[in-house]
Amino acid sequence: MIRAAALAGILLLASCAAPPVPQPITPSARPQRVVSLNLCADQLLVPLADRDQIAALNMNARDRWMSAVAAQARGHRLIRGSAEEVLALAPDLIVGAPAFRTDALRRMSGRAYPALELPPANSYAEIRAQIGELASALGHPDRGHRLVARMDAALAGMKAMGRGRVAAYYQRRGYLTGTGTLVDALMTRAGLVNIAAKLGKPALSRLSLEQIIAARPDVLIVEEDSQALDDQGAQMLQHTALRHIPRIVLPQAWTVCGGPAFVDAAASLNAQLAALPDPRT
Amino acid sequence: MSRALLMALLAALASIAGAASLLTGSAALDAGRLAAALLGGGDPIARTILFELRLPRALLGLAVGAMLGLSGAALQGYLRNPLAEPAVLGASNAAALGAVIALYFGLAAIHPAVLPLLAILTGLVALGLVFLLAGRAESPLTLILAGVAVATMAGAGISLALNLAPNPFAAIEIMAWLMGSLEDRSFAHVAVALPCIAIGIALLLWDGRALDALALGADGAQALGVDLARTRLRLLLGVAIGVGGAVAVTGAIGFVGLIVPHLVRPFTDRSPSAVLLPSAVAGAALLTLADVGVRLIPASSELKLGVVTAFLGVPIFLAHLLRERRLW
Repeated sequence: MIRAAALAGILLLASCAAPPVPQPITPSARPQRVVSLNLCADQLLVPLADRDQIAALNMNARDRWMSAVAAQARGHRLIRGSAEEVLALAPDLIVGAPAFRTDALRRMSGRAYPALELPPANSYAEIRAQIGELASALGHPDRGHRLVARMDAALAGMKAMGRGRVAAYYQRRGYLTGTGTLVDALMTRAGLVNIAAKLGKPALSRLSLEQIIAARPDVLIVEEDSQALDDQGAQMLQHTALRHIPRIVLPQAWTVCGGPAFVDAAASLNAQLAALPDPRT
Repeated sequence: MSRALLMALLAALASIAGAASLLTGSAALDAGRLAAALLGGGDPIARTILFELRLPRALLGLAVGAMLGLSGAALQGYLRNPLAEPAVLGASNAAALGAVIALYFGLAAIHPAVLPLLAILTGLVALGLVFLLAGRAESPLTLILAGVAVATMAGAGISLALNLAPNPFAAIEIMAWLMGSLEDRSFAHVAVALPCIAIGIALLLWDGRALDALALGADGAQALGVDLARTRLRLLLGVAIGVGGAVAVTGAIGFVGLIVPHLVRPFTDRSPSAVLLPSAVAGAALLTLADVGVRLIPASSELKLGVVTAFLGVPIFLAHLLRERRLW
């Protein structure tokens, strides 16, 4: 009882006063209990890690609308990412957690967990770098090199079919994806001009149906789930006023996170663009 | 003011509101381009914006406003309670709950009629519940309290349904259903709402004479040959069908039915039936003007209609509550 009270007191002190000296867990050459705390880290962890290296993935990893590795994620433990879940798993590597969360875990447990932050990748170069970084941390650097080489080769073999068309990546409720994003990188690579750049909009802005029609994009890129879901937010993308604008549909699972699916998204985008009539004729 | 003059003025106001609704929007289109489009010419962009975006929106604003204004007038007349209206009595939120269940659990995909039907049904249940709980209460506040309880429960039901729905974005939509919006509606929405509203308006106008008789009390009305049960049934069905069909496409918009009868009543002979039609036309004008307002107020994303109508309606609501204070 007294010990418990003392412990509680120490914890209380620890949270406001000087933190205890964390006892580092030495990063092993090949971590065996890797916990991922976000969907985007899952996209890299699943193809790079051995199956038994993964202790847990984010709860959305198996959602086929959001995750490109939904099928491979089957059988893995899924967590919401609360501190107690993570501590109970005794991870030897935490991926996809911002620094403040790993700090909080360290303060709570008095142990420093090896962690790799993997912030959202907004360009292909960042995806490549993150693959290399994570592959090394998992003890499979060669696997990383091979994956990057495959992706490089696939992208190099693609012909940009955009031909300078102006495209709008238009999401439910009229959100428009702007420059400096992964979607913008995809568009640029496919030879498209992002309408958000023409209109001077930030990375995420809102454009009403009237505004998008007045801005006259040559092509609309919409997310696959907004075609499948019938709700108020998605209904706006089915508005008859948009029927004259050619439409390209990409699974959100390929574009929401930077990962190997970037190549799938680029291939699908180019294939769908190739099927559209030539803008110059 | 003579009735003909009042109706002419209100009709003119509603026409102006409708025209203003066609002229305002987030895309800058000058009057020349719009006029050309209106006359059948003009560029395809202007035509699309005018006929496929602004016209359905203006029509819905007028129709839904008329329905809400008329419902308020009819409910206030029938219940002899100045605070009665579909939103205060919980019918709007309940209809929105029905629409939410139909949309987010895939029922609306079965048949297009499921969406308005479920909204009407839940609206009817809510109204029936309020009437049952407090329809004959001595104090007018009892009715309002029952309405607030039902409205709150339906609002909580909307949140719960959206959080449980198998749709990752559903939670974001709670606002739209609780505050109402006419943004980005199409003729498909007009086709859902308009028939329901037409039936609702017809049923409520039918009750006009009976409402006047009811001003003499239930016994007096019966002595005048009014069938009270049928009157009540028409009222309940009229409000539920009209408001249900409206809410199914716009979400719950509060306070229009509350404000409008109070605005037009001083210009009439104050008999319940005399307030009905002017309330419908004034409601059409008010809601459409509020909808022009949400487009003119610069906000990063468009304001919800319920925000504007609440700012207009709550002061009137409070003024009446304070007047009733002696009954507390």
